[in-house]
Amino acid sequence: MTDRPALEAHGVSKRYGTRDAVCEVDLIAQPGEVHGLLGPNGAGKTTLMRVLLGLVERDAGSVHLLGCAFDSTVGPVPDGVAGFVETPAFYPYLSGRRNLELLARLDSNDGSRRAARIDEALEHVGLAAQADVGVGGYSAGMRQRLGIAAALLPSPRLLFLDEPTNSLDPGGARDVRALARRLADEGAAVLLSSHDMAEVEELCTTLTVINRGRVVYAGSVDELTRLAPSAVHALRTNDDRAALDVASRQAGVKVAVESDGSLEVSADLEALDAYVISLGRAGIAIRLLERRARSLESLFFELTGRPDAGEPSLATLHDPSGRAHASPVGL
Amino acid sequence: MSVRGFWSVVGVECSKLAAQLKTRVLLASCVAGPFIFAAVIHMQSALPSDTLFGRAVKESGFAIPLVVLGFAALWAFPVLTSVVGGDVFAAEDRYGTWKTLLTRSRSRADVFAGKVATAVGFSLLAVILLAVSSVSAGVMVIGADPLIDLSGILLSPAQALNRVILAWASVLPPALAFTALAVVLSVATRSSAAGIGLPVIAGLTMQLYAFVDGPEVIRRLLITSAFGAWHGLLVEPPYYQPLVHGTIVSGAYFVVCLAIAYSKLRRRDIGG
Repeated sequence: MTDRPALEAHGVSKRYGTRDAVCEVDLIAQPGEVHGLLGPNGAGKTTLMRVLLGLVERDAGSVHLLGCAFDSTVGPVPDGVAGFVETPAFYPYLSGRRNLELLARLDSNDGSRRAARIDEALEHVGLAAQADVGVGGYSAGMRQRLGIAAALLPSPRLLFLDEPTNSLDPGGARDVRALARRLADEGAAVLLSSHDMAEVEELCTTLTVINRGRVVYAGSVDELTRLAPSAVHALRTNDDRAALDVASRQAGVKVAVESDGSLEVSADLEALDAYVISLGRAGIAIRLLERRARSLESLFFELTGRPDAGEPSLATLHDPSGRAHASPVGL
Repeated sequence: MSVRGFWSVVGVECSKLAAQLKTRVLLASCVAGPFIFAAVIHMQSALPSDTLFGRAVKESGFAIPLVVLGFAALWAFPVLTSVVGGDVFAAEDRYGTWKTLLTRSRSRADVFAGKVATAVGFSLLAVILLAVSSVSAGVMVIGADPLIDLSGILLSPAQALNRVILAWASVLPPALAFTALAVVLSVATRSSAAGIGLPVIAGLTMQLYAFVDGPEVIRRLLITSAFGAWHGLLVEPPYYQPLVHGTIVSGAYFVVCLAIAYSKLRRRDIGG
């Protein structure tokens, strides 16, 4: 055994031409935790996962998987490391079970329990009934499930999951989240790439947020939640002008008029409750109150920049005490 | 590279090949083709007289494998030996399965060596099946009669069989050189069509060069020259110089092509 983290990457960089796909990324995932890798599309999450799994050669930095220095040009990923990047791919002319049998032969673990492990993995992902159907006939969701089954075969102690709930129905997504949580509870480290803040918030204890190939936050989800700005809600009333007046007298509530005429209310839950009660007391009817963004989503946009907001403005991040949070990285 | 890793990749690749219709059809044609050819020859009155040993196909069953060998050297070997070699790497690109394969506990060296061994094994199997089937077809359909060699010497059935086996063995090095060429093209182009098609085109171009009055040094560096080296085994006394030269050239192609292919695969970034 080793005291080292399950995954430890330092200063990892990958450049394509003049573009930094991944730039000096540090990432640590401990056994027993689901570590989120969060970022908008094109942020470099998948490239980083490829680098960590040795599919793409890094230009700089070091990677340790399960305590072993890893260089794909020298050796394979260590035993106990598994996962997939982007949509899992299989041989379409073979059945799901046959694909798993071949992949299991490539693993170093005990061959005597191979068939039982395949059955268990297929059962876990709900593919047992379709196991003998050719993968060419599988839907995207079924291939995603098969990818998860393939990742489970070597009893992973470090599991890479790249947007694992993509293409899955809500029930399938729930099962995958439960599976990731259970694996972590059993001591595995799970690196979960996602652009779904809700998924990360639900599953992960720690996370790394990257944008344009660079880490813009690394730390615990709790710490990030503490830094998160107030949630944003859209509001429509029978008298928006009067609602604005009420807001101006309400502590902890900021209301702005949006271009579509609706009001955008920034407030934490307690202040929002008080504001709604005040509106009722003032005889203002609420016609719509809809959450625009979760509080962490708001922070995510701050960290990574809204599509229409240009550069991320880290300077706008403040902790509850009002102190400027100078460096979200490495909290 | 680990021995266990290598054999596990070979096992996986063989299982994949066994599941593919094209490989089964190809191997079945290697078995059935010579029998069909011998049966047609047996039934018709005309002889393939413009082919080496063509005039002897009705007199000795041992002429059948030599006629098949002459034809295969021209047309069939580049195809037979490229079908797996030209596809074994590019198929992973076609199916997007490199990432699936390389995230298991096997190194790129294991995967490369296992795939090359499978391609080489398939090429050897195809050539040997064709050889065994040709000899069997000749003996069973025409008969195990003595054969007149290229010097006009009558060879006993045992001597003829011995020469036929040696002649077929002599095409194994160039056949493997074509496999290696297919492998490097499969890795470099990431396209099965190019991996299989380009070695066939290269083979035909090399054959065509034989008819051109070009520099002799180039002719001696072509893999296809080695396909004709067996002629020296069927004269009295036999001469081996073309055989030795062809084997060296084929070996050089084999080593250089595989070295290039491995260096490309080793440092390749596996994309989406």
